[in-house]
Amino acid sequence: MTRLRAQGVSAHYGRTQILFDVTLPDMANGEILGLLGPNASGKSTLMRCLSREMRADGLIALDDMAQGDYGPAGWRDKVAAMPQSPPSPSALLPTELMWSTARALALDIPDAALAARIEAMFAALGLSSVALSPLHTLSGGKRQLVGLALALIREPALLLLDEPTSALDLHWRMVVLDLVRDRLAQRGGVAIAALHDIDLAARYCDQLALLSQGRVVAAGPPAEVLTPETLAAVFQVEAEIVARPGGGILVHIVRPLPRALHRHG
Amino acid sequence: MTDASASLHARFGHIQRRRVLVLGLLTLALLLCLGLDLMAGPAGLTAEQILRGLFDPESLELRHRIILWQVRLPDALIALSVGAALGLAGVETQTILDNPLASPFTLGVSSSAMLGAGIAIVLAPALPFVPETAVLPVMALVFALGCGGLILLVVQFVGGARETVVLFGIAMVFLCNALTSALHYIADADGIQQIVFWTIGNLTKAGWTEVWIVTACFLAVLPFSLRHVWLMTLLRGGEAHARSVGIDVARLRLWVILRSSILTAFAVCFVGTIAFIGLVGPHIARLLLGEDHRMLVPGSALCGALILSAASFLSKALISGAIIPVGILTALVGVPVLLALLIGQRRRP
Repeated sequence: MTRLRAQGVSAHYGRTQILFDVTLPDMANGEILGLLGPNASGKSTLMRCLSREMRADGLIALDDMAQGDYGPAGWRDKVAAMPQSPPSPSALLPTELMWSTARALALDIPDAALAARIEAMFAALGLSSVALSPLHTLSGGKRQLVGLALALIREPALLLLDEPTSALDLHWRMVVLDLVRDRLAQRGGVAIAALHDIDLAARYCDQLALLSQGRVVAAGPPAEVLTPETLAAVFQVEAEIVARPGGGILVHIVRPLPRALHRHG
Repeated sequence: MTDASASLHARFGHIQRRRVLVLGLLTLALLLCLGLDLMAGPAGLTAEQILRGLFDPESLELRHRIILWQVRLPDALIALSVGAALGLAGVETQTILDNPLASPFTLGVSSSAMLGAGIAIVLAPALPFVPETAVLPVMALVFALGCGGLILLVVQFVGGARETVVLFGIAMVFLCNALTSALHYIADADGIQQIVFWTIGNLTKAGWTEVWIVTACFLAVLPFSLRHVWLMTLLRGGEAHARSVGIDVARLRLWVILRSSILTAFAVCFVGTIAFIGLVGPHIARLLLGEDHRMLVPGSALCGALILSAASFLSKALISGAIIPVGILTALVGVPVLLALLIGQRRRP
């Protein structure tokens, strides 16, 4: 049963501190944590720290073992990350990208089984028809789905998704997050997703962390984190929170507020 | 295995088999070019004489035997080894810098070799333990490897960003070109002519020693390139993606630049700065074989060797009794092939 802890995480780019003592809610197996925040609030930097792409101070632990104790290869086996940018529009085929990633990671899967796994992943993400089409012929949304398929080709304990739905239409946004939730339910693990869509985050995430200027402003279940006050402080918007039939909440953004009145320090 | 998975496996397998066939056809074309290159020249050697001379040298009359083994074969084989080395260096440089305009020359290695050769020609320094006839290639090699070393230092200590590498490489090109121009300024007419001839590229001065050295260098580097084919293929999906799956891209860049610098340095030090092959050879291979480096790496080496071998043949066949410097012909051979492939690809549905 996967358990993730991130406590007091700080990170710097050169001499500039980007993250300040960030603590996320402890995550239990099968949970999705949503990272919300305006641009440059530190979401992607936190993702890089969690994936070990960037050095961080503080505690990041998976299954009660600190990140540093895993070693680079050990952590790489446990964590799969989907970066913010989709795969480059080169002449590479999505199947080749999946294949080379699996082989570069030394996944011990016979060719036929790997093909089956790739095909199943492409089918779930509506990519079957473009599996053998060069990436440069695919739309941004399709390439983003290829990026997600790459992250899911393994069965990681920690899945990091940096704005996984930013280029997708309404249908595929929900399909993607349904797929992630189903994967976690079936195979275990936890996922952290940086999102800009607040309603989507409220709907799919078990917990949320609201970031602003590298600090956590609020963290916990969506109903506790998404309040008119926190949204005003972090996003400078006037919002109404409505209870959704069948549970959960809906966020209705009324209008932007003058930024100077609600600057968060 | 489900039917659906068999379908993808089968369709992908079909594409791969077609690519293997293309590699086979490239190899056949290369052998054909090699044969034509061996036949070209005023001695009028026939295909039958060449084949007989290769397998039973004693059966040829002495004059023909010397022409085949001491002149034609070294020239033809250095074309293959230099072309293959530049093609391999080119494809790896383009991938690691994610830049289709990159070539072994982007890093400044060949400009450094040109500077070294220029110094050897104009200043004629005496090097300890180096015979006078070997000073030029040794100087070219030392300068080229020195440039490669400088780039590695930049990658290691300033940061491995591809923009940094390209910028530094271009700066090295301008610096070396400026210093070579200074050599032109102080050289006499004969020196200037020698430098110009060296920069055009010439295969006819190579002997067996040069063939063995360049071939050994290529064969020594190739296994390391093949070992990285998966990493280089996934790098075509973008650097962010490669980093996200835990690949140390900066370290990979270091290894690839080291390989590319060594290949380029050894390729150009004996025959001069033969341009174009390292740039276009990989593009032709990419159009024929796609981006999978399992196919692209051998394909680029084959295309590089094929272009230079064809240029070598034409350099002897175009004007009877004369040999045109091969560097003049590489673009004339490669550009039509590249254009034909691009047009063919555009017409494909």
